[in-house]
Amino acid sequence: MGELGVEHFLFLSAALFIIGMMGVLIRRNLLIIFMCVEMMVTAANISLVAFGWENDSLDGQAFVLFAVAVAAAEAAVGLAIILALSRRVHSVDVDEFNTLKD
Amino acid sequence: MPWDLVIFYMLAGVCILAAGGVVAASNPVHSAIFLVICFFNVAGVFVMMGAEFLAVIQVIVYTGAIMVLILFVLMLVDPENLPEFHQGRPVQRAVGVLLGIILLLEVSVAILNRQVIGVKGNATAQAIDAVGGNTQALGRVLYSDYLFAFEVVSLVLTVGVIGAIVLALPERLGLKTLPRRGTISLGHGKGIDAEAIAMGPVEEMPMQPVAKDVIPKATGGRRLVMVKDPDEHTGAK
Repeated sequence: MGELGVEHFLFLSAALFIIGMMGVLIRRNLLIIFMCVEMMVTAANISLVAFGWENDSLDGQAFVLFAVAVAAAEAAVGLAIILALSRRVHSVDVDEFNTLKD
Repeated sequence: MPWDLVIFYMLAGVCILAAGGVVAASNPVHSAIFLVICFFNVAGVFVMMGAEFLAVIQVIVYTGAIMVLILFVLMLVDPENLPEFHQGRPVQRAVGVLLGIILLLEVSVAILNRQVIGVKGNATAQAIDAVGGNTQALGRVLYSDYLFAFEVVSLVLTVGVIGAIVLALPERLGLKTLPRRGTISLGHGKGIDAEAIAMGPVEEMPMQPVAKDVIPKATGGRRLVMVKDPDEHTGAK
């Protein structure tokens, strides 16, 4: 890999995605899990742009634009859900959300 | 080593370190700041791939809008309700790290043995320069091939905004908007009037303001002002 290729960007994307996945698995704070999900979305965006860059195509960038718009809507709705949950349960610990279990 | 490779390794290294900081930081605000650093470096990587418009969008939408939203929610949540990170759960953490390493190995094998090569598109560097730049070329693609998807995305954003407002409203909004009734007393430091409270709320009979020169004994020599509506005294009506 002496030259800048698509593999570099794919490895960066994989690393970001896996760090985000580890955050989702390890952490218990709902807000940090949310940030890690945003990081995983960004990792997927890097892959899309990288493949488009490799193949001289703009379709990947168009997809990323739509993904960013959907991620913004998802962030608004998700944070509103977190706010409503923290008001009701008085916690943002995912282990506290066990109403269906009890 | 060529310069673009050096710049890429700098951006990617800081990006991955900041991503690790997001997971490892015990304070959620520190996690948010690490995430901002990570997203700025991702924007730099986008510039390296010739996606200047997406780099700007990344900074505006992610580090601008979404991070501000996350910090707002972080401030609205009581800090006593935040769970502690550094306590127990060794099995959970070990499983998380193990699954991450396994997935990294699998993806590495997949990337290094990649065989599928896509069909070359027509958006070469010369073609993009002929249109006027990355933003113009992306706009032409968006408003021709992806016009319907573009409209659908606007609908998704509208529904998302409405859903966020509905979800974030307090559950018992009706109780908060009831008209306030009762007495306030400016003669007392905390505005509590024991005599009027003992008398209870009077519905039919409107309370009469006490004349200025009459000082009841129950107030301890201070002038008692009784009004039916708090706004009546301040003259807000």
